[in-house]
Amino acid sequence: MFSLLHKELRLAAHPNLFIFTLLGALVIVPAYPYGMVFLFGCLGPFVTFTYGRETNDLYFTALLPVSKADVVKSKLLMVVLAQMAQVLISIPFAFLRVGLLPEGNPAGIEANLAYYGFGFMIYAVFNFIFLTEFFRTAYKPGIAFLWAMIPAVIGVLAMEVLIHVPSLAWLDSVAPQDLRRQLPILLVGMLIYAAAMPAAYRVSATRFEKVDL
Amino acid sequence: MSVLVVRGLTKKYAGFLLDGVSFELRPGRTMGLIGKNGAGKTTTLKSLLNLVKPDAGQVLMFGKDFYQNEQDCKQQIGVVFGGIDFYRHKRLSEITNVTKRFYKEWDEQAYQRYMKQFSLVPNKRVNELSSGMKVKYMVALALSHNAKLLIFDEPTSGLDPVARDDLLVLFRQLVKGGERSILYSTHITSDLEKCADDITYIKDGRVLASADKGEFVRAFQHLRSPGEAEDLSLEEIMIRTERRTYDV
Repeated sequence: MFSLLHKELRLAAHPNLFIFTLLGALVIVPAYPYGMVFLFGCLGPFVTFTYGRETNDLYFTALLPVSKADVVKSKLLMVVLAQMAQVLISIPFAFLRVGLLPEGNPAGIEANLAYYGFGFMIYAVFNFIFLTEFFRTAYKPGIAFLWAMIPAVIGVLAMEVLIHVPSLAWLDSVAPQDLRRQLPILLVGMLIYAAAMPAAYRVSATRFEKVDL
Repeated sequence: MSVLVVRGLTKKYAGFLLDGVSFELRPGRTMGLIGKNGAGKTTTLKSLLNLVKPDAGQVLMFGKDFYQNEQDCKQQIGVVFGGIDFYRHKRLSEITNVTKRFYKEWDEQAYQRYMKQFSLVPNKRVNELSSGMKVKYMVALALSHNAKLLIFDEPTSGLDPVARDDLLVLFRQLVKGGERSILYSTHITSDLEKCADDITYIKDGRVLASADKGEFVRAFQHLRSPGEAEDLSLEEIMIRTERRTYDV
């Protein structure tokens, strides 16, 4: 599996996957809708899957001594790796932001625990739909991206709208007592992500098995 | 023991049926898979490699059921699909560094030797290679992991006569020692006159004949016109078998 993941990163990944991953740092921008960060985390895999189609990546991989299920697993791990790296990259900037710009983000939600919780949910929904739809044909990333982006964008919009509901103002806070209230959202988000990826793998692998390359 | 035994390979598409394709390839032999465009040559190769899911049939490779032992079997094969470029913007060295990790029997010294023999420069990108050089690079990768069975799909299509002849000489050399075998699909039958030992002819998804080249040619001599003394070439056999008349 390590060899396949190495192949994904060295041959299959489009340079934009790395650039979009680095955009986790955008949470340092004083006024910015941070939900965009997660959408960049969805855009990176789409660009890479499209690039893979143009470079005959799946074809090349299928000729290697690996199973079709492993091909799916390595693609999925690449997506997880990019998104987790994006989250990890953003965390120090989220802390820095609180220290350097304590007045808050006027353009949307703060980079707090609820934000990351919603982010995991957005990633999870996007990944499940994108991967399972893509592996239905293995050559139509555009359609898969379109279907997956609709709920992802709705998720981001919902997150940004919710913080304007007066009774939910604690979602847009970095005060310690509010962060405690947000913690369950983060945990639920992580759980949904952790459950969605194996489910996406199972469905995608079953579908890819039937695909004629 | 045969290197490759294909029995009853069947794949149904809307408007096309690969119908029970069967043939057998022995060690140290080159088998030409011939047929006109759309006859089912590529579908046969893809089905036997499980790139396309066959509806029925059995493939024995090195004595093992290929579909049950796919990863093991793929350790010992090299596949070249002519006209398909992989990772056009990557350097050969990058592709090699990734590819070699998958093969237990990768021989780095042999790889360096083949690269030199084939005049391939590791720093070149795939899109800087001619079609012939791309085929040679894929052959170098296959030989470096000690592939015993080489599967070529239209490797010489689009090449000039000199580049084609160069590859054919190479293919002859590859099977000379008796350790390797080649399954070679093409519609350029003149290539097979030079390098094939066996011929399998696929017509409309079915195997019309599969035999040693001499025997194959003899089996089609009834297609000769009265007064024709010489044996028909593979090209003439194919043309006369496929010829249609139009009532216009």
